[in-house]
Amino acid sequence: MGYTLNFSAVWRSFDQLLWGLLLSLELAIGAILIGAVIGLVTAFGLISKSGWARRPAALYVTVIRNLPILVLILFSYFALPQMGVRLGKIESFVATLAIYSGAYLAEVFRAGLLSIPNGLKEAGLAIGLTPMQIRTSIVIPLMFRNVLPSLSSTLISLFKDTSLAAAIAVPELTFEARKINVETFRVVETWIVASCLYVATCTVLAALMRMVERRLVISR
Amino acid sequence: MAIPFRAHALLLTTAMMVAAAPAVAQDKSKLDEVLERGHLVLGTGSTNAPWHFKSVDDKLQGFDVDMGRIIAKSLFGDPDKIEYVTQSSDARIPNITTGKVDVTCQFMTVTGERAQQVAFTIPYYREGVGLMLKADGDYADYEALKEAGSSVTVSVLQNVYAEDMVHAALPEASVDQYESVDLIYQALESGRSDAVATDQSSLAWYMTQNPDRYRDAGYGWNPQSYSCAVARGDQDWLNFVNTALHEAMTGVEFNFYADSFKTWFGKDLQPPQIGFPVEYK
Amino acid sequence: MNEFLAFLDQVWLARFVILRGLGLTVSISLLAIALGSVLGVLVGLALTYGNRPLRFVVRAYTDFIRGTPVLVLVLASFYILSTIGIELNAFQAGVFALAVFCSSHVGEIVRGALQAIPPGQTEAAKAIGLTFSQTFTSVLWPQALRQMLPTWVNTAAEMVKASTLLSVIGVAELLLRTQEIISRNFMSLEFYFLAGLLYFAINYAIERFGKYVERKVSVPS
Repeated sequence: MGYTLNFSAVWRSFDQLLWGLLLSLELAIGAILIGAVIGLVTAFGLISKSGWARRPAALYVTVIRNLPILVLILFSYFALPQMGVRLGKIESFVATLAIYSGAYLAEVFRAGLLSIPNGLKEAGLAIGLTPMQIRTSIVIPLMFRNVLPSLSSTLISLFKDTSLAAAIAVPELTFEARKINVETFRVVETWIVASCLYVATCTVLAALMRMVERRLVISR
Repeated sequence: MAIPFRAHALLLTTAMMVAAAPAVAQDKSKLDEVLERGHLVLGTGSTNAPWHFKSVDDKLQGFDVDMGRIIAKSLFGDPDKIEYVTQSSDARIPNITTGKVDVTCQFMTVTGERAQQVAFTIPYYREGVGLMLKADGDYADYEALKEAGSSVTVSVLQNVYAEDMVHAALPEASVDQYESVDLIYQALESGRSDAVATDQSSLAWYMTQNPDRYRDAGYGWNPQSYSCAVARGDQDWLNFVNTALHEAMTGVEFNFYADSFKTWFGKDLQPPQIGFPVEYK
Repeated sequence: MNEFLAFLDQVWLARFVILRGLGLTVSISLLAIALGSVLGVLVGLALTYGNRPLRFVVRAYTDFIRGTPVLVLVLASFYILSTIGIELNAFQAGVFALAVFCSSHVGEIVRGALQAIPPGQTEAAKAIGLTFSQTFTSVLWPQALRQMLPTWVNTAAEMVKASTLLSVIGVAELLLRTQEIISRNFMSLEFYFLAGLLYFAINYAIERFGKYVERKVSVPS
């Protein structure tokens, strides 16, 4: 079977792909915002001296890191409603991705927290800050700056993971691409365009995050 | 910004690979190809009872699968000469157009839009939405549900058209949407809903699996035809598949079709009237 | 309680199906890791020692693969290859996609490990008269291998997780097997949970193994 590339069918549906891409980005950003909160709480659990905080945090991280994300997505969407937890497609997906990223971010934040020199905390105590104030105004801001590179690579991999939302029919980029395939059967062209959109977006995201890193870097 | 250039390079490479692909003349029909090969390549799914799903001993079975077996039987005199390609629903059309399967039988609703991309066979089933009630429930049938008006709750699969679909039959009923088939049945079982509205085939299957616990409300709407599909542009092959299916519904293979219908939908079919062909009545 | 017994009954009925799915998941992962590692080592070598045009091409390859979701790689390899005349079945296309994905990861790991070796060592080897291939096989590669081994083991866990994506193109690995069972008995909660447990068991074992390897190969300082 000879095959000639013909992109016109894909360009006609290009709007759909762009809307899909926008939704993919929204899903990733939503997930990382919630995931960062979960990750931060878990990270404090991981470095806690109390076993009651440490053990559940460590269990959460180990379990989630060793499960395939697709299984988690299908589980939350199809199985959890049996236990009375009923969320819409998008909510269920963002929640799952947030819980998933939380486990990875917890490790990132833990390393970041451990890298804060003790002297800074002591200095905080010396000027009369409470432990909570030290955390919110010294430790966490510094930690965020340190972990920014890992945070940006997590965001990029979350953005790529949003393609899995297609499995529960969330109309993001991969879902739209499959729909165009079904409608036009220009499979080669559609996948070329879709992967170029992913690659381009990842590159732009990486560049943006590097810009943020440069602006926030502490000059030494 | 090296990416656009890289992407461009990839496009070029792909274009060259595409150009290098050998062009095979389409002078022979798929029919000859299949006969030479000695088995049929059937595209279908594996996760939807009673259409296409796995038995406990891991064999593909169901009404769609039986339609493929009917085609294989007319080809080779042996319904088992099939290589199955299991595919998800959205792979049905791409797998036909890219030649991964000879024919797809996978509860495919015939629409004008799809008929522009693949060639549909004659329909082998008419699907419609039905209502299922608990055998010992408050409502006896469709009339009772309709009279009860807004006090009735119907559970249905989540879908943009779900609300309209139910209201076409029960204008005042409240609609509860669920994410998967098991959940709409659970809603009825646990009393959270008074009726389930979904494909009649699914209901028929569920009722054969759980005899005497449920009953059909006796009303159907939203008709749609299920057909197998082949690639466009091969009339010879399409004719063959049509003939195989047609004779299963009206001719020598009627018993095969009727047995299958009884197994998956629990209903006996009357043999077609002998004498003047039913098609011209 | 009755429901749990019914579940156990269903698991017993489906035991061979589940095992077959598990077997396929493991074979997919092993094949992808093996092929991907061979390809990945070549990628890593090209990135470290290749001349400028080769480096540029290979860098474009890894950047493109790493910027594309694995699901898209799987779908694209399944549909694109057959359209341009390369006939692969779903299993082969899926393994191919995972191997390509794996190769870009292994390539980066190899490059990182080789570049972490201080250049003084190459110079020293040159000084005692070793050729480049001798330097590579007896000085650089053994050290790089030691450094990349733990990360490489973790890549195996990534492959096991990514193998679930092959269910989308109809490869009957553990996840699709699970979905097939659920479509028969409607026990989605129980069987997704079981699948999760099995994946966890495999990956946790790999993770422990990775930690063990890390301890074994770490250079005492």
